Amino acid sequence: MDNNKNFVLNIGRQLGSGGHAIGTILAKEFGIKFYDKEVLDLAAQESGFSKYFFERDDEHRGFVKSLFNSIIPFTSSGDPYGNQLSSESLFKFQSDAIKKAAERESCVFVGRCADYVLRDHPRCVNIFISANMEDRVARLMQNLQIDAQEAEKRALEGDDKRASYYNYYSALTWGEASTYHICINSSVLGLEGTADFLKSFIMKKLDL
Amino acid sequence: MSGKASSTAELGTRPVGKLLMAYAIPAVIAMTASSLYNMIDSIFIGQGVGAMAISGLAITFPLMNLSAAFGSMVGVGAATLMSVKLGQKDYQTAQNILGNVVVLNLILGIVFGVIALVFLDPILYFFGASETTIPYARDYMEIILLGNVVTHSYLGLNALLRSAGHPQMSMYATILTVVINTILDPLFIYQFQMGIKGAAYATVLAQIIALVWQFVVFSNKKEALHLKRGIYRLKKKIVFDTIAIGLSPFLMNTCACMVVILINRGLAEHGGDLAIGAYGIVNRVLFLFIMIVIGINQGMQPIAGYNYGAGHIDRVFRVLRYTIYSATVVTTLGFLIGECIPELCARAFTSDEQLIEMAAHGMRIIVIFYPIIGFQIATTNFFQSIGHAGKSIFLSLTRQLLFLIPALIIFPRFWQLDGIWMAMPASDLVACIVTAVMLVIQNKKMKQRHLASNGQQ
Repeated sequence: MDNNKNFVLNIGRQLGSGGHAIGTILAKEFGIKFYDKEVLDLAAQESGFSKYFFERDDEHRGFVKSLFNSIIPFTSSGDPYGNQLSSESLFKFQSDAIKKAAERESCVFVGRCADYVLRDHPRCVNIFISANMEDRVARLMQNLQIDAQEAEKRALEGDDKRASYYNYYSALTWGEASTYHICINSSVLGLEGTADFLKSFIMKKLDL
Repeated sequence: MSGKASSTAELGTRPVGKLLMAYAIPAVIAMTASSLYNMIDSIFIGQGVGAMAISGLAITFPLMNLSAAFGSMVGVGAATLMSVKLGQKDYQTAQNILGNVVVLNLILGIVFGVIALVFLDPILYFFGASETTIPYARDYMEIILLGNVVTHSYLGLNALLRSAGHPQMSMYATILTVVINTILDPLFIYQFQMGIKGAAYATVLAQIIALVWQFVVFSNKKEALHLKRGIYRLKKKIVFDTIAIGLSPFLMNTCACMVVILINRGLAEHGGDLAIGAYGIVNRVLFLFIMIVIGINQGMQPIAGYNYGAGHIDRVFRVLRYTIYSATVVTTLGFLIGECIPELCARAFTSDEQLIEMAAHGMRIIVIFYPIIGFQIATTNFFQSIGHAGKSIFLSLTRQLLFLIPALIIFPRFWQLDGIWMAMPASDLVACIVTAVMLVIQNKKMKQRHLASNGQQ
């Protein structure tokens, strides 16, 4: 990471907060690469594994896996990288892919602990986007074609999943102010307004 | 980094048989060392102290396993956490994990040791002890429990050594304890006439020496990971994550220990104190074969996992096949030894004719289905290698718990002592059938998915 011109924007977000959309706007504004689910393709390439395995483990730790971790007494050596298909090993491939992408060019990463993975990057802005529950529910209803009750359930589950994923792999706490450079509620200014506000914050932080 | 990349590529290209050899042999050595450790202890106690001492010792197995279960909860949990953080080159958090493990083991080791010491007699009676065997069990356990902090710290640091990129050092530490124990056992038992207590002192002393060596390794300031001030304060997140990850190995170990208690109590009821000793002998001998199989399985894991991920299904099944073949050879050897020369095996532990006869009789029954058990263990592991931890745990429980417990309760009603011996092979057989069915289903699914994904391309 000696190329000092590159910068990265890492966006953590609540499910349905519009983080993906805001990330897309910012990527367009700055003219840089945008990675959300696209990270999984990078990870598949990095490992030589099928993308299926990364999708299966994407941003959550399965119930069985979190309860009964992949380490079983006696049968495994206690080294998660010994088995390359363990969640821990897949995460390592994914974060190596993120690091390589960040080294190549400036980019926006949404989710996948990118802020933690790239914590030593000299020029990064770590952002967390939340939103009021009504707005999140409305957005999820529209995006996923589900009813309000289901949307609220998904939103709450999403928070739990992302928090347990993030808190397990990083040394930080998901959604806590001190983890990020800026935390913002997208309901206040709307998607465009939030992106605009973040843009000026980013430019000041990075001296652009 | 490039080293890791080349070894990863190797998993997808080198001949499967050669890969399996390269990965399995170190694991087999480590597994053999740790089971020899237990065997040697039992041999010296049986030969040097007497038949009842073997029974007394066998009663303490579950209690020692329970202590090891707590130790491995912290060890496995912290090692996993450590691997994740080292994978991200987050040395600061890794240091904190190291410090927290030292403190956690200190606390857990003392608390477990004190509680078990206070209630030692009731615990041992519950585990199947009698008036005759309890003096031996008590003498042995008192010393082991006083050294409990050492045991926990030693196990925990060994797990961390492995995940901190020094697997060979962790193996040396294991071998060191075996060697020291083997030297001290005869010295204490025969030379100093310390009886069963001598064996306990030898065990604890060996672990103290290994622990000191581990501290020396971890004090090296040149290492990215070393002990220093400011890392010992317990952090809620580290403690919570460690225990959350370590919980499943802990529960599995605890279940295994409950089953041994059930077996020992059954043996005491239907066969008396000697039967427990007989099972202790059989267990020690057969454990060696099982551990070798587990070593081979550890070698299979990275190969099966990588090739499954990379979509080389033919290589996945080839490594599974080779693993099953070699596991079957090992367990069949166990079967032949158990059927043909069980008296000779038992004679290594004791000179008491009645105990020898009982152990030989038990061994002959227990190993009946050993030729197919290699397949069961290998397949259980295989599911884990391809990321199906749930199925793997289920299969592992079928053999050691789900079918064994009912059999242990029902069989003795019809066949008394033989019923308990028979419960074990019966459970092996049923577990093998369940495993075979699950493997066939999985095989079909994988081939279908493989065909489907080929069609897409």
